[in-house]
Amino acid sequence: MTNEAKDLLGNALSTDERELVDIYTRLKTLSARDDLPPVATANVKQAMVLMWNACNDLALICEEPGCD
Amino acid sequence: MPATESPFWNPKTETLPKEQLQALQLVKLQRLVRRAWDTSPFHRRLYEKASITPDQIKTMDDIRRLPFMTREDWMECQAEKPLFGDMITRPEDEAIRYHLTSGTSGRQPLRVLDSRKDWSWIADMWCYGFWGFGIRPTDKVFFAFSYGSFIGFWGAHYCCEKMGTLTLASGNMSTEQRVKQIVEMGVTVVCATPTYALRMGQTAEKMGIDLKKDGKVRRVIVSGEPAGSIPAVKQMIEEMWGGKCGDTAGMTEIGTIMIFECDHQPGGPHIIEDHFIEEVLDPDSGEPMAYGERGERVVTSFGRGFMPLIRYKTKDLVCKVPHTTCDCGRTGDIYEGGILGRVDDMKLVRGTNVYPRAVEAVVREHSEVEEFQIILSRREDVQDEITVKVELKPDQTGQWARLKGQLKKDLADAHEGLRFNVELAAQDELPRFELKAKRLQDLRPQY
Repeated sequence: MTNEAKDLLGNALSTDERELVDIYTRLKTLSARDDLPPVATANVKQAMVLMWNACNDLALICEEPGCD
Repeated sequence: MPATESPFWNPKTETLPKEQLQALQLVKLQRLVRRAWDTSPFHRRLYEKASITPDQIKTMDDIRRLPFMTREDWMECQAEKPLFGDMITRPEDEAIRYHLTSGTSGRQPLRVLDSRKDWSWIADMWCYGFWGFGIRPTDKVFFAFSYGSFIGFWGAHYCCEKMGTLTLASGNMSTEQRVKQIVEMGVTVVCATPTYALRMGQTAEKMGIDLKKDGKVRRVIVSGEPAGSIPAVKQMIEEMWGGKCGDTAGMTEIGTIMIFECDHQPGGPHIIEDHFIEEVLDPDSGEPMAYGERGERVVTSFGRGFMPLIRYKTKDLVCKVPHTTCDCGRTGDIYEGGILGRVDDMKLVRGTNVYPRAVEAVVREHSEVEEFQIILSRREDVQDEITVKVELKPDQTGQWARLKGQLKKDLADAHEGLRFNVELAAQDELPRFELKAKRLQDLRPQY
């Protein structure tokens, strides 16, 4: 699970929110690798972006949107 | 509660108490300004010129210390360093989308780039609007849109794929083909400009199709023209299609919509305030306008990473009213009557202010009218004339004698007694539009 325990408003993350952030963090790490086959890299990036949407809209994270 | 029963796309932030919403905006603003300072030479230059640094943004009021960004600045920056200027925060090759402004005003279009995250965020903003107006994964959504460089409904298309609707792209179809497919496929939601929604309805009538009986459309979502919030236009669309008509508004500069009408339809669209700061300012002095007063929209977007948009002067004329005007539960404020026009589209005719949207609101009160044009001219180099040329529905031509007098009276009453000329156009004489309608011709000499 992630170490980020609070959202942008300073509220403690719920169990569901912690899980969302955790999945996003793992996908972000995976999508930054350059040793995976193209099929994995491209689809992981897409999945990472969609998880970023969920976490960003729920104010769980605030990261540079331009960065993939 | 099952997700499909939620009236909100994002219940957490759409219903945040106002003070928390503003606290969230402040956190996002601080990070946005810091990022723009660090990565966009264009913004750094603007801020250095205004002697402001990111650490000086401590409260929401501090937003007023930030300089405005204008379309002219943007155009100049792209002209000096083609193609994208020095505003972009990432290398060009990291972009996945390229779009252009529509260029309806005849100026150089703006070029915009989006990253994967930008593009997905763009679709998400449409999701706020579509979900809020009652669209659900079981819907069949038809886009009467040409899918070119102009951003139009691109984001809405991707929103529908994200939501899981059946999404129908009509690309280069003719109007007749579109009408046919809408009926044949049992489409439940149609997306178009208000003008084109009317045109499809008129075409269906000519084809002998009664959309209310033969079709299954329950929602018409319009965008791209101020007419989307004119009650008479919405009523015409609803009578043609048999479904509720809801307005949205966005702009290429932000890539998506920033306001949408919820299912409760309180008389204007809600602002998506967890992703935008929408200021309403006096266009001349830059001072904030109170609730209920008209002013210019100035937008700050938290979603577009490639090209930060901070305090962008839009020239859109709006009137903000509190969110409590609506009982849907959203805490995003409302633009009463939607986008009311452009700050710079006001025409002065013999000392009277004339806004094309106001003329359209009067003309559309008369259901006999199929299409119209506003023509400004100058007689003998002295006197300005305003003429409304009207094309009637084929079965309404017998109404002209009565309608002419009524229109003249209604237009004058709505414009401090200004005399309008009203002329009858022949059938199919006036131009029809698919994207943004151009119904005003100013033929007066420009000095």
